[in-house]
Amino acid sequence: MSRKIAFILVGMVMLIMLAMPVYAAPQIGQPAPDFTATDIDGNEFTLSELKGKKVILEWTNNQCPFVVKHYGSGNMQATQKAATDKGAVWVSIVSSGEGMQGNVTSEEARAIMTEADAHPSAKILDPSGTIGHLYEAQTTPHMFVIDEEGILAYAGAIDSKSSPNPKSIETATNYVLAALDDLDAGRPVATSQTQPYGCAVKYSH
Amino acid sequence: MVSLMLFQGAHAQDGDEENQPDQYVKIRLLTERNTVQPGDEILIGIEQSIYPEWHTYWINPGDSGAEPRITWDLPGGFSVGDIHWPTPHKIPYGPLMNFGYSDNAILMQKLTVPETLPDGPLTLTATLDILVCKDICIPESGEYTITLNDPSTPPEDNSAYLAKAQANLPVPVPWHASYEVDGENVTLKVKSDNISFDGIKPEGFEFFPLEWGLVDNPTPAKTTLYQNEIVMTQGRGERPLDEVKSTKIILAFTNSQNQRQAVSFIASYAPTGGTNTGTGTKKNQASSTGIVKALLFALIGGLILNLMPCVFPVLSIKALSLAKSAEKDPGHAKLSGLTYTAGVMLSFIAIAAVLISLKSAGAGIGWGFQLQDPLVVAALAYLLFIIGLNLTGVFEISGHFGNFGDKLTQGDGLAGSFFTGVLATLVATPCTAPFMAAAIGYALIQPSYVSLSIFAALGFGLALPYLALSFVPALQRILPKPGAWMNTFRQFLAFPMFASAMWLVWVLSQQTDSMGLFNILMGLVILAFGFWLLNHSPEKKSAKTIVQILAALAFLSAVLFLPFNAKENEAPRIESLSFGETYTPEKLANALLTDDPVFVEMTAAWCITCKVNHAVAIDIDSTRKLFTDKNINYLIGDWTNYDPEITEFLNSYGRNGVPIYVYYAPRDIVTGDRPKPKLLPQVLTPSIVERELNKL
Repeated sequence: MSRKIAFILVGMVMLIMLAMPVYAAPQIGQPAPDFTATDIDGNEFTLSELKGKKVILEWTNNQCPFVVKHYGSGNMQATQKAATDKGAVWVSIVSSGEGMQGNVTSEEARAIMTEADAHPSAKILDPSGTIGHLYEAQTTPHMFVIDEEGILAYAGAIDSKSSPNPKSIETATNYVLAALDDLDAGRPVATSQTQPYGCAVKYSH
Repeated sequence: MVSLMLFQGAHAQDGDEENQPDQYVKIRLLTERNTVQPGDEILIGIEQSIYPEWHTYWINPGDSGAEPRITWDLPGGFSVGDIHWPTPHKIPYGPLMNFGYSDNAILMQKLTVPETLPDGPLTLTATLDILVCKDICIPESGEYTITLNDPSTPPEDNSAYLAKAQANLPVPVPWHASYEVDGENVTLKVKSDNISFDGIKPEGFEFFPLEWGLVDNPTPAKTTLYQNEIVMTQGRGERPLDEVKSTKIILAFTNSQNQRQAVSFIASYAPTGGTNTGTGTKKNQASSTGIVKALLFALIGGLILNLMPCVFPVLSIKALSLAKSAEKDPGHAKLSGLTYTAGVMLSFIAIAAVLISLKSAGAGIGWGFQLQDPLVVAALAYLLFIIGLNLTGVFEISGHFGNFGDKLTQGDGLAGSFFTGVLATLVATPCTAPFMAAAIGYALIQPSYVSLSIFAALGFGLALPYLALSFVPALQRILPKPGAWMNTFRQFLAFPMFASAMWLVWVLSQQTDSMGLFNILMGLVILAFGFWLLNHSPEKKSAKTIVQILAALAFLSAVLFLPFNAKENEAPRIESLSFGETYTPEKLANALLTDDPVFVEMTAAWCITCKVNHAVAIDIDSTRKLFTDKNINYLIGDWTNYDPEITEFLNSYGRNGVPIYVYYAPRDIVTGDRPKPKLLPQVLTPSIVERELNKL
């Protein structure tokens, strides 16, 4: 009997080893890459210190038409509110490099937030693209949902309709809200990875 | 800051031509003609003229961007098909890679006109949402219209322009493609007999998966070209591969005329075994159910073989005599049943072993190979003929001469039972039942231990009725009481035997020339004469010796005739080729390049199922008419003699025997996509053929 248990244990260890990430890119079901940054209000922000709370990362660029689609229609603000009302932390990240579209100063970023009536928990400027490359953020918007244990639960598009037309939001499935609902209900996230759509993140070359 | 949506009017294509565009992508809708008839299918082109250095996107936009969206508002009854996308280009942006178009790109859709059409002009409206990007992106939207059947506009013909655009769509090809993951890379393997890379450099190869997340888009693919094979390796994408089990792939390359060319095909995920335990176990489970199924089919196939005209007589005589002996000695009956089973199974395993070793030695052979050699066919014809003679009573073989024959009808002697088993296997070989073909086709592409077990199961099926009879007294009691009628019955059973022998002679007639056939027929006569002589030996010792010498000479000459027959006919002709063409891989490749449907039939003279199918379901007026009406390229391959090209065709469909019927439906008129080839069942009826050909 004990041999059998040992055998099972060895098998499990082997399985766990096989399941280990082969490369550093963020993977669903794996710990989200940790980072520390200072937000536009000067507060230091470390992802791993937020364990116990769900975290949503949103890549944004206020001049990208897809970001305009979701802010102009109020969809992104509504999603933000729904998430933060439930206690989640929402982090908006701008990875536009210097001189690139969407690159803003802290003041400009605050003005954009005020104008759009957006209320993320934190907004981070990442002109060097460090955090963007860490998460391999491709588009604006590109969304990541991290669960209470710091495990990446969702990565991809904000919703199911990649059209730039805001009318498409009415019939689209909001993947971020769906992932949060699944996590709240203790279910595995049904749609955990989708193809992000939108403008390319304007990294500094 | 660009936040407003541009909504252009219905005639946006008439916009200005200046450098400062109000639109970065100009849209023009084109139809082949501007008049339509009820039931028409015509092409619509959605032409994007893209501002210099800007680009729009493919259906899979790559790392960012979005594909164009088209929403149609059509008059009642009209419908449009899927969008068909020209070959995309790779458009790098910083660390990202996008797939799309610059300058000019024409998307195509098929418009289906209803059977009833109202009079007067018809207006078709398309709403387009297109994202156009350079360093920044701008979504452009607009409504565009086409008016058809407007008597006030002059007729318009864009068919030549659209045909040219259609020629730029990737060409669908029936290549076999799969991808696997090796560490951080994805390897795509594409195989086809019809690829030639003369003058083509691997540097120009690019592949575009329709599914996102399969590959890491920015990393360039490494391409290696082999004979008939392309291997491309690219960084692994972010998506788990159990979500991407298959994908359409566009493969673009620079041809020997330095032009960009593209093909499309479906590739499926082929998990590599070993390192990944998770998928490895799953795969084993799946294939073990496959094995169980194949074993079951083999068993049923073996059972059915008992009813074949060549096998049934041998076994029924054996079974009847068993009833007689079992009463006296049930233990012996059981032993006899077991040795018979051993004889059958070992013979099947021996045939399988020969086949497997020949295959692994690289010979392009498959099931039925035994009958591809005229020598074997002639020998089998002799054997069946001799058994027939024996059954009619032309001769009796005395106890010391041969182990099967007389003893086979007596039912005693364990060696006799064993060799009856061998004999049953030998005479069963021509009767490839439909069940067997499927099981054997599966068997021969498996590891050898699986192949051998399938053949053993087949043998067990063949042996099972007799084995059951020897073990279960209740079954023995069902058999009629032995008596004088058995002799008459035995003689009657000679006729199916003769029929089988004659059929083999006919097979030979397909394999050799008329002289060879004459030799074989004379051989049969001399054989019969020899046996008759033996059975009518005079009493006198000296005369008897002479007769015996004569008989021996007769047998010898009959056997000597065989080598003459072994000469294969150079070009095997397909008997009564009333329509259709002889199959060659080149003909099939050429036929597949056209838009028309293709039907491939693989047959062999010794394959009864093939012959019956052909006569009952294909070579009949209604099917012939259907083939003509549908403009089907009908290709027939004859596998009567050894033909490695046909064997390869069979293997490509996971088969190792005939018959096989493959239907390649016509290409879609817009996309040029040919649906996946469809395998028809191995037993055909006219309605099955009709149903398959009328699908879509």
